[in-house]
Amino acid sequence: MTRRILDFVIILLFVWGCMLFGLWMINDLIVPMSIPGVGRYAVNIVQVVISTTMVLLWLLIWRWLARSMFWRALRNNQNK
Amino acid sequence: MALILFLVSFLTSCLFLPPVMRAMRARGIVGRDVHKKDRPIIPEMGGLAILLGLAVSTLIGLVLFPYITKLLISFFSTMLIAGIVGAIDDLKPLNARVKPFLTTFACLPILLLRTYTPSIIFPLIGSTRLTKVYPLLIPIVMAVTTNAVNMMDPFNGVMAGTSSIITLTLLASAIIFGSQDAIILCCMLLGALLAFFYYNRYPSRVFSGDVGSLSVGAALGAIAIMGRLEVVAVVAFMPQIMNAFYGLSTIGRLYERREVNRPVTVLEDGRLMATSDPKAPLTLARFVLARGPLHEYEAAMIFITLSAISGLLALITAYMMAGTL
Repeated sequence: MTRRILDFVIILLFVWGCMLFGLWMINDLIVPMSIPGVGRYAVNIVQVVISTTMVLLWLLIWRWLARSMFWRALRNNQNK
Repeated sequence: MALILFLVSFLTSCLFLPPVMRAMRARGIVGRDVHKKDRPIIPEMGGLAILLGLAVSTLIGLVLFPYITKLLISFFSTMLIAGIVGAIDDLKPLNARVKPFLTTFACLPILLLRTYTPSIIFPLIGSTRLTKVYPLLIPIVMAVTTNAVNMMDPFNGVMAGTSSIITLTLLASAIIFGSQDAIILCCMLLGALLAFFYYNRYPSRVFSGDVGSLSVGAALGAIAIMGRLEVVAVVAFMPQIMNAFYGLSTIGRLYERREVNRPVTVLEDGRLMATSDPKAPLTLARFVLARGPLHEYEAAMIFITLSAISGLLALITAYMMAGTL
């Protein structure tokens, strides 16, 4: 029972931690960003692209983590 | 005063549930409990009693709290619209794409009565004004919360149990923020949910149907929006979000339960087991059962524990948010 809950907690903490870290990064690093010699609109596009890439990467890692944990647990259970 | 509304919605839902169950059984609006060996027939659409309980407590709320008339009307209308979509789906199943689209209409009372603040409070950051974008996000919030709650109804008592914990988390967060309006709404919803949970817990005597799950999802979304608890709700909703995300990422599109292979099977001894079918959606139920078979009540308890853990994280998030204000 505990092991099943722990599987979920690992993913939950990863997702929650990434959410907070991502928010901090977007607010403190990406939003104040300026590129010398590049116009405001171009910088805004770069900011959106970086933020979107971060979110997509987060979702991909989340999906990979969940799938690998599920199939490993299922295999281990079938081999018992 | 909010406690009175809690008691009103609890007692009225308790009173309405037995006649609703009898009426559904008499009209043949029933479903099979597929996770039991003998597959008993259970009355559906018990969620109507949640709506009725909230209707009565809204009426009493209008008398007790006349200064939040707009908020109460907006809250109940949002639930009612989602409930109507759910009732239609219960009587004549809707397409997997049509249902989420129709649930977006539940946001209309919030938009028309302007019972929202166009800013989001983020942890570590603080309040961020989103004057133009915020109204566009409200229909998306409604579609996500209604359908996430609807998808999170795999075992007896799970929808009502996990939704009660989310409501309790939102209530505690509203107390942290000192948001009187959100406290009132949470008390109303919690009363109805606990009454329903009493009848819906293992072994279920009634199913909520989509009329119940969609209206509860809409109510939770409305509380998050009206109480400015959006980020707290996202964290508290994490098991529901994970369930929907895993399912959608395996199937690759919106789906109805009847359209896909079953992720869970029932063993001879009545325990539930995750299937190894690669085409079945990777739901949270399947994830929980991956380490071996469990009885339905054990699996339901795990779901409620997972929701409680998410609720704790949501409360930490609420403290972080309150610290920025």
